[in-house]
Amino acid sequence: MIRQVIARYGELSLKGKNRHQFEERLVGNMRRVVADVPGVRIARQNGRVLITLDDAPVDVVISRLKNVFGIVSLSPVEVTGLALEEMVQAALRVRGEEARRLGLSAAERSFKVEAKRVNKRYPLTSMEVASEVGGQLLAAETGWTVDVHHPAVTVFVEVRDEEALVYGVKVPALGGLPVGTSGRVGLLLSGGIDSPVAGWLALKRGVELDAIHFHSFPFTSQRALDKVETLAQTLANWGGRVRLHTVHFTDVQTEIRKHCPENLTITVMRRMMMRISERIAEQNALLALVTGESLGQVASQTLESLRVINAVTRLPVLRPLIAEDKVSIIRLARQIGTYETSILPYEDCCTIFVPKQPRTKPGLAETERAEQDLDVERLVSEAVARTETKVFSRRSPVG
Amino acid sequence: MDVYLDNAATAPILPEVREAVVRSLDIYGNPSSLHAKGVEAERLLSEARRAILTCLGRPRARIVFTGGGTEANNLAIFGVVRRYHNRGRHLVTTRIEHPSVLEAYRALEREGWRVTYVAPQPDGHVRVEDVLDAVTADTVLVSVMHVNNETGAVADVGEIGRRLRDFPKTLFHVDGIQAFGKLPNGLADVPVDLYTISGHKLGAPKGVGALVMREGLEIHPLLYGGGQEYGLRSGTENLLGIVALAESATAAYRDIEHDFAEAHRKRALLVERLQQIPGAVVHAPPVVSPYIVSVSFPGLKGEVLVHALEAEGVYVSTGSACSTKGGHSKASHVLEAMGCAPEMVTGTLRLSFARWTPASALEAAAEVVDRQVRWLYSVARKGGTSR
Repeated sequence: MIRQVIARYGELSLKGKNRHQFEERLVGNMRRVVADVPGVRIARQNGRVLITLDDAPVDVVISRLKNVFGIVSLSPVEVTGLALEEMVQAALRVRGEEARRLGLSAAERSFKVEAKRVNKRYPLTSMEVASEVGGQLLAAETGWTVDVHHPAVTVFVEVRDEEALVYGVKVPALGGLPVGTSGRVGLLLSGGIDSPVAGWLALKRGVELDAIHFHSFPFTSQRALDKVETLAQTLANWGGRVRLHTVHFTDVQTEIRKHCPENLTITVMRRMMMRISERIAEQNALLALVTGESLGQVASQTLESLRVINAVTRLPVLRPLIAEDKVSIIRLARQIGTYETSILPYEDCCTIFVPKQPRTKPGLAETERAEQDLDVERLVSEAVARTETKVFSRRSPVG
Repeated sequence: MDVYLDNAATAPILPEVREAVVRSLDIYGNPSSLHAKGVEAERLLSEARRAILTCLGRPRARIVFTGGGTEANNLAIFGVVRRYHNRGRHLVTTRIEHPSVLEAYRALEREGWRVTYVAPQPDGHVRVEDVLDAVTADTVLVSVMHVNNETGAVADVGEIGRRLRDFPKTLFHVDGIQAFGKLPNGLADVPVDLYTISGHKLGAPKGVGALVMREGLEIHPLLYGGGQEYGLRSGTENLLGIVALAESATAAYRDIEHDFAEAHRKRALLVERLQQIPGAVVHAPPVVSPYIVSVSFPGLKGEVLVHALEAEGVYVSTGSACSTKGGHSKASHVLEAMGCAPEMVTGTLRLSFARWTPASALEAAAEVVDRQVRWLYSVARKGGTSR
């Protein structure tokens, strides 16, 4: 009976002195995603995490855990004593279970055994364990052949100090780093497709997220804001917790429209967003900003634009999507569950602020001139003062 | 300040309706049950029926309660067509009907029926002659909306009904959802065969409406089952909804002529005030429901205006609440049919009040519209220095 699952993590083991801290965080994050599943115990064990299931269904636990950032793969395992006979019995069950899971026909039944010996005092070498277990498996049931190159089923046996682990499958997980090990960043979150994906990729590298949204009521509606809150909730389902700062941006928009040349309004608007975000970052101890920008995707995302927009902040601006094509961004958005929300149509009434011919290659000096009549400092502080913050916590499992 | 001017979309529950529903909450019997509980419920149902028919001045007509106005319109149209398909293959309606009529006709068109969609005049009203000109010996059904939900234009359905007597095989259906409880006189002088009403525009909850049918008229049902409502609408009756519908109708007709005159006075004030706003174009059908004002601000987006007004507590619609999909307005088919320029169509607001809306609230709302329109025009028009 499968009553245990092991979770492997890769990069963490490289982290030297911080390793303990990383592992603690990972285990904490794992416990949180299965908190509502009774009968699950999670503990660190020699460079991996062992999950013990009392009555909890193994499928549910694995599907939850494979979406925890930092885990590389998971395997449901049988834990046996060190007697070879026990390993063989477990290996038989594992092989049968894999054949069922893969739906193998009689003709497809080929297998091999791979063994690893962590316990160097064990009387047999890895090779010997593999050939012993393999030989007995072959003899135990007719209809199976051994194929060491392309087996349909591989049975893994791991001999440890006090026990052996036997398993047949490695479920790939997301990798990355545990959320909470890389500091806190501010994600510029629009209602579009890209920014939630950028936020997710940042989460994957272990950050905690604060989202910053610019709301231009009445040019964007309450439904547009609800949509952004839904996206923040989805990101919180992945990352555990997201604080959403909603900036009242209408006055900034109308002032830009009043005082700046039309073809530079988008550039100036993005610069204002950066300035406001930097201020919010200061107040909330955010170490960097994250945007969904992808090089060349729209007028404000040419290198010239990015440079001019970036010039107003000294914070690092992380752009995880910078080299991604739209199709791959959309694919990822579907996988993480933000796409359907992102394509809801609630934000195009902002169109009065979109110039007919935006400058795709704005210069820094001309943009600074364009801002001459703009009371930047007042607008930034007023917008920051009118920002509202809402906290989203994990509500439902993802994936 | 909260001024709700979207009563043509739906209205708040009236206090007397709430009380009537609460009084009836424990009358839980199924009107079809044989025992005393059923009898008690059935009595309530009959009273409601009688009350509504009295309001309409057609005590001998038949009333079929439905799950709302849309269902009643569908029942009228498909019910007639399924029953009388041997009489012809032609149908007549107008281009400014509510989607629950228009889409039903489009569906029949796909089934092979010929449908004439009569165009309105540029002021929004549908001429009697234009409807009659479309009718032939082959016409099975004519549907004309009594009060248009976007412009308030009133069609002379009485005259259309009288003139249709020359076509004894043609039935006449009127969507009266925006007229019921608003226009006086009921149906006493309106020779219609089928008349649709709805409860939630009058202060009853959503989910109840009715089709009023000329006595003796037979149509086919949409729903088959236990044979309730003369076999035309199977399913256990929504007794509480029906009680609420009757109560809201009774309240609406209690003083309807006085309320109607008052509403005209209030509408005139509102229109006068709106016309002072720069850019405003008030749509003015020759005969209009006093409860609906349609006004365009060319160059603005109705949707943005709606949000700007709600920020100050004034709730209105663009064309109609039904012409929004997923929270976004789509171009109004009514204004398009009237031949309005696209700029005009997108910049249109519908203000719809109720008999209980005080004139002072309308004035206050008009002030807000004035302020927000001026602000939005200033934002929209203010180009950058380099233009």
